Amino acid sequence: MYHAGSYAFGQSFIHRLDPRVKLAAVVGLSVLLLWIAEPLSLFLGAALLVLARLGGIKIKTVAEAVRPLLFFILLIFAVHLLFHESGDAVIRLPYVGIPLSVSGAQKAFFVTWRFVSLLVAALLLTTTTPPSHLIAAVKWFLRPLKKLRLPVDDIAVMLTLALRLLPVLLREKERAEMAQKARGGPSDGVGFTGRLKIFMSLTLSVLLGVFRRADDLAAAMEARNYRRGGRSSFVELSMKSSDEIALLVIFTLTLFLLVINSRFG
Amino acid sequence: MIILEDVSFRYEPEGIDALRGVSLTIHEGEHIALVGPNGCGKTTLIRHLNALLLPASGTVNVDGLDTRDRNHHARIRSLVGMVFQNPDNQIVGMTVEEDVAFGPENLRLPTAEIQRRVAEALARTGIADLAGRNIENLSGGEKRLVAIAGVLAMRPRYIALDEPTAFLDPEAADRIGTLIAKLHAEGVGIIHITHNMAEAALTQRIVVLHEGRIYLDGKPSEVFEKAQALQTIGLRLPPLTALMVRLRESGIAVRCGICNPEEAAEYLIALIRRKGD
Repeated sequence: MYHAGSYAFGQSFIHRLDPRVKLAAVVGLSVLLLWIAEPLSLFLGAALLVLARLGGIKIKTVAEAVRPLLFFILLIFAVHLLFHESGDAVIRLPYVGIPLSVSGAQKAFFVTWRFVSLLVAALLLTTTTPPSHLIAAVKWFLRPLKKLRLPVDDIAVMLTLALRLLPVLLREKERAEMAQKARGGPSDGVGFTGRLKIFMSLTLSVLLGVFRRADDLAAAMEARNYRRGGRSSFVELSMKSSDEIALLVIFTLTLFLLVINSRFG
Repeated sequence: MIILEDVSFRYEPEGIDALRGVSLTIHEGEHIALVGPNGCGKTTLIRHLNALLLPASGTVNVDGLDTRDRNHHARIRSLVGMVFQNPDNQIVGMTVEEDVAFGPENLRLPTAEIQRRVAEALARTGIADLAGRNIENLSGGEKRLVAIAGVLAMRPRYIALDEPTAFLDPEAADRIGTLIAKLHAEGVGIIHITHNMAEAALTQRIVVLHEGRIYLDGKPSEVFEKAQALQTIGLRLPPLTALMVRLRESGIAVRCGICNPEEAAEYLIALIRRKGD
């Protein structure tokens, strides 16, 4: 079962990049995306889309990732469109009298664009990087915190477990839902109170399942010699010349955008 | 050798006595089937073999290491691998190779050695082609094989399996059965919980647990000879034994402990010929 955003095997140059380079680039470019002037964010967002295509991400995948957030995206757009304060109102909405302006529409478009671009950046990272490599990169960046006695290895295992168990929990929820329906339980279209009841009983049965599973998983991890503290890693991170070139390109792009951005005041 | 001496265990706070004075010796390279009705203590017993549970009284010794000494736990868990009933509750990694690497990573082995062990375990279980696959996309049978590969990567001397063929289709169950036989032939000691008596008949020794105690212990032929005792505690007989019991009930004096279909056929042919003469 493939979910939009989960790792998809591929051989593109982005797939082959060191996960540390990808993680640093995505975090850096995301901050830049929020920082730079609106017209430049258009350019950076487009660049991310081109990179996503080069990384083998289909437009369909982006659409699938956007779909669950569509309501939220539309809400962001609507809030900025309706509540942007400016003097250039073109029309007023009938009955409520809220003014709509060109600058409001522009603002709404750019905020939404930035949000979708951030989503593309995240997709670029997660679809081209196996989770173990991503976690190895996170662990590498957290390494200095070991000196502060932060349990970096345990944090990495926690991240792995969270990623691993998310689909298992979703399956458990679907199973509980089906079991309720099979026994004539309430289905959709039962109003707010009915929905709340369904939600409560589902949550309870999923939680019980989770606790049982957590017990078994802890025993299974112990049986395979898991102890808190240091572990070695199956993943070997190594920087190649292509990674150095990618870093140089990203650094140059960042510098270029910052210089142009300063001209926008 | 794993030696259990007078092991008792009680689940608290429920106050359920799961094991009551169990003494058992498991030899290196032996293939044992652990059978018994639900709740008789099978899972509790195998969890004592790699120190996941510690006896309330009595001792468990694994190749000379007492499980009560916590300093021995890491070594004991490398010696005795454990395959749980539900692979979804055992698999930690997102992909097959990541999961198989989990044990060796815990042993803090160097990366090159981990990669070698992962490749070796995947080859032994016949799933090298699944190495990079996402766990979520595997069938139930494939997940069981991944769970076994994850244990093999620790290079254990013994493997305890909790109903490894439960809920599998016959083809997947055969694949697991063949793998278990292969591991046994390679010298790995197998302790194997099963409800399938035909599967138990293929092992070297059957230990029957009932109400936390050892009820019967012997070669399959010896255990199935006591068919009535098995039926008394609600265990189903394998088809061959059931046939022999039926013949015996009709007044034909036959042995009930024959487990091999070939041997049974020859035995019955000889019996019929004798009657014919």
